[in-house]
Amino acid sequence: RDADFGALLELTPHKMAVCHLVQVFAPPAQQQQAPPFPFDSVAHHNRLGLFLFALTRSCEDFLEPPLEQLLRQLKAIDDLVNGWLCEQLTTTLAGLNSPDDLFNFFDKLRGVLTSPEGGNVEDEFLDPNSQLGVFLRCCILAFNSMTFEGVCHLLANLVAYCNSADASYDLAEDEDFNGEIEMSDPMDADIGVRSGVFDRYTQGYATESHMGESSSSLIHAPISLHNFDEADIFKAEDNPTCLRSRWQLEAYLNQQADVLEKDPSSVPLNSFNNTMTQLQTLAPELHRVQFLQYLNALCHDDYVASLDHLHRYFDYSAGMQGLFSRSLSPHQDNIVGKYESALLCLGNLHCYFGHPKKALEAFTEAVRVSQMNNDDSCLAYILGAISNLLSKIGISSTVGLIGSRYSLGNNIGLGTPLSIQQQLLVLLKRSLKRADMLKLTSLLSFDHISLAKFDLKHVQRPLVSFGPNGSTKLRTCPADVCKNLRLSSHVLSDFGTDGLSIANDNGSFSTSWLRNLSDASSSWHSSSTKPRKLITNDFDNFHFHAQPSPIPTSVLQLAGSAYLMRATAWEHYGSAPMVRMNTLVYATCFADAASSSELSLAYVKLIEQLAVFKGYSAAFCALKLAEEKFPSSTNSQIHLLKMQLLHERALHRGHLRIAQQICDEFGVLSSSVSGVDIELKTEASLRRARTLLAAKQFSQAAAVANSLFTTCYKYNMQVENASVLLLLAEIHRKSDNAVLGLPYALASQSFCKSFNLDLLEASATLTLAELWLALGSNHAKRALSLVYQSLPMILGHGGLELRARSQIVLAKCHLTDPEFSVSEDPCAVLDPLNQAAEDLQVLEYHEMAAEVYYLKAMTYNHLGKEYEREEAAARFKEHVTALENPRDEEDSLVY
Amino acid sequence: QISHPASPHRRMAAAKENYRVELRAAARQLGDRCLYSAAKWAAELLVGIEPDATPSQSAAMDTPSSSGAAPGGRLLHLHRSGGSSFRRRMRPGGGAGSEAGTPLGGVSYVSTPIPDDDAFDAGADKYLLAKTYFDCREYRRAAHVLRSQVGRKAVFLRCYALYMAGEKRKEEETIELEGSLGKSNVVNQELVALERELSTHRRTGAIDSFGLYLYGIVLRDKGCEGLSRTVLVESVNSYPWNWCAWLEIQSLCTSSDILNNLNLKNHWMKDFFIASAHLELKMHEEALKRYERLMGVFRCSDYIQAQIATVQYSMRDLDEADMIFEELLRTDPFRVDSMDIYSNLLYAKESLTALSFLAHRVFLTDKYRPESCCIIANYYSLKGQHEKSVLYFQRALKLNRKYLSAWTLMGHEFVELKNTPAAIDAYRRAVDINPRDYRAWYGLGQIYEMMGMPFYALYYFRKSSHLQPNDARLWIAMAQCYESDPLQMIEEAIKCYERAANTNDTEGIALHQLAKLHSMLGQAEEAAFYYKKDLDRMEVEERQGQNFVEALLFLAKHCKSMGRFEEAEHYCTRLLDYTGPGKGDCKKYITRAKTSTVWVSTDGYRSFCVVNLTSR
Repeated sequence: RDADFGALLELTPHKMAVCHLVQVFAPPAQQQQAPPFPFDSVAHHNRLGLFLFALTRSCEDFLEPPLEQLLRQLKAIDDLVNGWLCEQLTTTLAGLNSPDDLFNFFDKLRGVLTSPEGGNVEDEFLDPNSQLGVFLRCCILAFNSMTFEGVCHLLANLVAYCNSADASYDLAEDEDFNGEIEMSDPMDADIGVRSGVFDRYTQGYATESHMGESSSSLIHAPISLHNFDEADIFKAEDNPTCLRSRWQLEAYLNQQADVLEKDPSSVPLNSFNNTMTQLQTLAPELHRVQFLQYLNALCHDDYVASLDHLHRYFDYSAGMQGLFSRSLSPHQDNIVGKYESALLCLGNLHCYFGHPKKALEAFTEAVRVSQMNNDDSCLAYILGAISNLLSKIGISSTVGLIGSRYSLGNNIGLGTPLSIQQQLLVLLKRSLKRADMLKLTSLLSFDHISLAKFDLKHVQRPLVSFGPNGSTKLRTCPADVCKNLRLSSHVLSDFGTDGLSIANDNGSFSTSWLRNLSDASSSWHSSSTKPRKLITNDFDNFHFHAQPSPIPTSVLQLAGSAYLMRATAWEHYGSAPMVRMNTLVYATCFADAASSSELSLAYVKLIEQLAVFKGYSAAFCALKLAEEKFPSSTNSQIHLLKMQLLHERALHRGHLRIAQQICDEFGVLSSSVSGVDIELKTEASLRRARTLLAAKQFSQAAAVANSLFTTCYKYNMQVENASVLLLLAEIHRKSDNAVLGLPYALASQSFCKSFNLDLLEASATLTLAELWLALGSNHAKRALSLVYQSLPMILGHGGLELRARSQIVLAKCHLTDPEFSVSEDPCAVLDPLNQAAEDLQVLEYHEMAAEVYYLKAMTYNHLGKEYEREEAAARFKEHVTALENPRDEEDSLVY
Repeated sequence: QISHPASPHRRMAAAKENYRVELRAAARQLGDRCLYSAAKWAAELLVGIEPDATPSQSAAMDTPSSSGAAPGGRLLHLHRSGGSSFRRRMRPGGGAGSEAGTPLGGVSYVSTPIPDDDAFDAGADKYLLAKTYFDCREYRRAAHVLRSQVGRKAVFLRCYALYMAGEKRKEEETIELEGSLGKSNVVNQELVALERELSTHRRTGAIDSFGLYLYGIVLRDKGCEGLSRTVLVESVNSYPWNWCAWLEIQSLCTSSDILNNLNLKNHWMKDFFIASAHLELKMHEEALKRYERLMGVFRCSDYIQAQIATVQYSMRDLDEADMIFEELLRTDPFRVDSMDIYSNLLYAKESLTALSFLAHRVFLTDKYRPESCCIIANYYSLKGQHEKSVLYFQRALKLNRKYLSAWTLMGHEFVELKNTPAAIDAYRRAVDINPRDYRAWYGLGQIYEMMGMPFYALYYFRKSSHLQPNDARLWIAMAQCYESDPLQMIEEAIKCYERAANTNDTEGIALHQLAKLHSMLGQAEEAAFYYKKDLDRMEVEERQGQNFVEALLFLAKHCKSMGRFEEAEHYCTRLLDYTGPGKGDCKKYITRAKTSTVWVSTDGYRSFCVVNLTSR
């Protein structure tokens, strides 16, 4: 339709000003000077071009800036010709007094686009297909299709536009820069300033819409209202509200969505809603606004509002506006959209709010509808979303949630009922295949990461096995994980080859360019004594942090997630340096694109490492910094970490009451719905068992651990099972029941083997050694060999506690060995003990430290060194009393 | 003292006379201030008062010139005496029903003095000129003439003229400024100035009830709904005969809570308001009761008749409503108001000829009224020409963008045309205009269900049943969603059907489905219960069909399996009246049962028979 082209923009005074500047930039070429008249160099000329380009693309706001702001920005360029541009612009605009002047104005514009007669192609004139050329053509077309009433409105707006600038412009002429500087408050990305801007625009609106509450104040203080209203009219008359062009509006909305995703806590719920409502009253047919409102409500955990906005958006747009609008090419827009994406969003919403069943219903319906509509790419996304859901929630393997009543099993195409894990795998592979086929790079990368996550925790069994299955190898495959992570990072290199890079120019570059420009010009005003060199080169104006990355945020996020995933994988496989390295790469290279939850996860990992390797004081120092960065009220991950650290420290210090208290808090945090927050629940009961163990309530601890084991088994959490089994072995060892503990330790060891949990396996081996030792001195040799077996891993990658434990066991092995004599080789015992004492000092681990000093005292006694013996004994007593009579328990909550 | 010994008849006559005097003055005063529709309403009501058997002389003699002061004084007196003895007048005896002056609550009316008009002073001529300008719709000119007048009447007319001028400009601008991103909300440019002036007047007390009415409208347009309500209530409390002010209050009362918290003086006009508000809030019984009381005095009022018909239509009492509308059209053949509801009714009754007749009539009367377009659209829809129907609905919506029922009905048409996105859009706009429109929510749900998205549709059905919890159709629709193949959430479906069965499920779908679902779940006892209930219902309504047979069959089998043979036989015998697959079995069973009853003559055989029968 022909309306499509005209629909791109509405003609406004601001656009006319830009048109005029374009005309200055590319004059209707009669004179053939190298740079046209007002410019003294090609660089200068180009600067104006860049400025104009940025003006037509920037998406800082949905309303157009007043003339005053335009002039201020223009000054940075204008400076070299002594304000010629500004003056020319204002006089030209002020000179348009009648409708006929407008006609002439646009008539002249047409000359810019036509090549001069007889001129050859190399001559300088504006390419009609360039950004500015298209802009100019849109404006001319909009004017030509305008009714006379429209022209009258434009004229009225133009007069208001010019008048609004007069006052402040004169002010600037009077060399009174104070007002100017205040006006040009840097439009930082800083949300505080931005919300201030929101408020400025929405004030009138907000007070009106909440008049119900404020009506009383209205009656009591009508005078103040009066004043306010006057200001309001003043504003309304002087500053006609003009929307930017459609592409700018869409870029603005995309930018807002990015902000919401990145850090929802920085966007206040109500003021954002007010802004969006205002935009909606100005452009009722721009339905994407409702989607933004949905996102906003979602980010602020408002279930009802988000549901309402979601349905409203898809009702209005009929799904035709699509969701994934970042790809500008129209055919891609149509691929995803329609009602199946409504269902996809609905499912994600339920998933977000922790309604797994509803989410699954929505996804199943989405699968059905997209199959009906032959929407393959949406189907791929849905499959990805389902696998995300399945991996997120614990669905007990005994309940056939999907297989029987829900038809998803049939959709998968395998008639036989599958376990949830198998279904997940099939879904992932299917999604991967589709994404690969349809060249959905982002989804492909996402699926690879999901597969890596799956491979990390699950043994892949063949779906259908015939005959004796002795040949199947029941181990996870780290190579697969690495392969998938490597493949997922290909998104970074691949995005250039498909449509993603074309869609990249979303105006953010122009926005930040303009922002810098006004910053620079204001800084020039404030320090006019400074040499003018400051603005001779445009690129001087760039602040490094404000420079947008050439890679789209979504791609950066995916690539970053791969690094986080790598860190997690190495956490499992037990390589501390690799964890640290990958997390650091993430935190330094991807922090800009990361959402606050992912970034805080990286911080959590780093702090955890600190706690394990450097002790609590270092960890708490770092935690304080992290808490400043992420306000704890909004970030649960940091909060959880804090509780974990406090719990560990309380256990080590022997402050059991505090430990118990923190355990109780843990229990409260998780949702009561079964299957939701399963990781948190596991963590909570694991900590409960450990607290009970520390309180020497062995049977209760064993009961808790046992029930935890059944839960983990039910939800197929094999990795967690390994640590639970190890805990059980520990409980039995401490309750002097070594025989009972042995099978648990062995089982844990074999779990670790099949899941490649090397560090955990080393620690299981250590426990095994301790158990053998407990069985009697004749097993000391065997224990010693076990310790030697685990030592390389532990000394290489283990934390302070694990290392100290291994040293102690080593010393104990020697001491209990009847063939070993201390006097012959005292260093073999004392060295490890001294090392352990040092490590434990940092950890404030009284119980084990007492053991160390006891052993030391015994050794010295044996060697006959009385002074050292007494010293060690005194330290032993110190630790034992600290453990038995805990003082300053409240200190444990302070850090 | 008001309770002087007088016959009820005379008292009623006196009351009627009072109404007449008040309305007469009101119609004149409202007309004088160019509040045309309020004046029209008052005049209509004035004529609607039942004529006395013996026309009172004094009323006839009441000339316009004298009515300004005299009735005012009399009413003031009444007001005083009524106010001093502000007591409940309980009339346990007869005549209470016909007592027109008693309001519903038993609290006596507070009569309000008719205010004096401004004395005819020097500005009177200018006022006259301004009013003529206003009548010619030259609003700015009218305002200009009155620019230096300070009388309250003049101030009101000037402000009102400005407001109207602003409204007119607003309408024009809405069309002029329509951009690619839709019509932006153009505001009346005069609002700010008007608000400032009127609020100053209100503060200084230099404002009359008409000024307050205008102030209320201005505030509403500015979005200050709470204050607007307060101001409008102030206005109607000092001058209750301005029906437009009441209508504005009604539009601001979106829930019964707000309605009940209004601080309204107990004038008889309040009854009209409350009745109308109840109708709007779908409290049909209350509305009907109040209107029927008001009929006691305003027996000939077309307005009340139309309202009653609307209530009855809403309560699905089509025949009664039809009669009233027909009568209305006979007495007032050029009426267009409320005729869109009549057309809906005729549509529901599928009486094509009557609808075409009505459409023809309104077309001749005034074809550019939204109601007229809606009626014509209804006609085409009934004819099955949905494209044309959509065309006329679109025309109605062009004339009034906030015409709620047109949006919903257009949605229905789009459904017929299988244009789902357009239908969804239309319904959604209806919902956004009034979020309490359960029909549009229901329509949205239906569309999504049709598109094979029952889970998505549930949201809409939930919304609609939340707004209209006593409508069985909504619950049934929801249940059908739950029951549908992809969802198969039988337990939820049963819950919904139960709700439906407990409300007015006239078609009996709920009972049948309940029985079926329970039997599907193997809950035979519950299934039998509902089959039996369904059977009873069908018997009462004398309906027969497949469901009847099914119920009989199930009950027969169930009774047989439970060992209640006599009942089983009873059902089987009834089954014999129908042809169907179960017939052969029944015959067999009955012959067996009959022979078994012969055998059962002695007790010893009973156990044998039971074993024999149950084994089949």
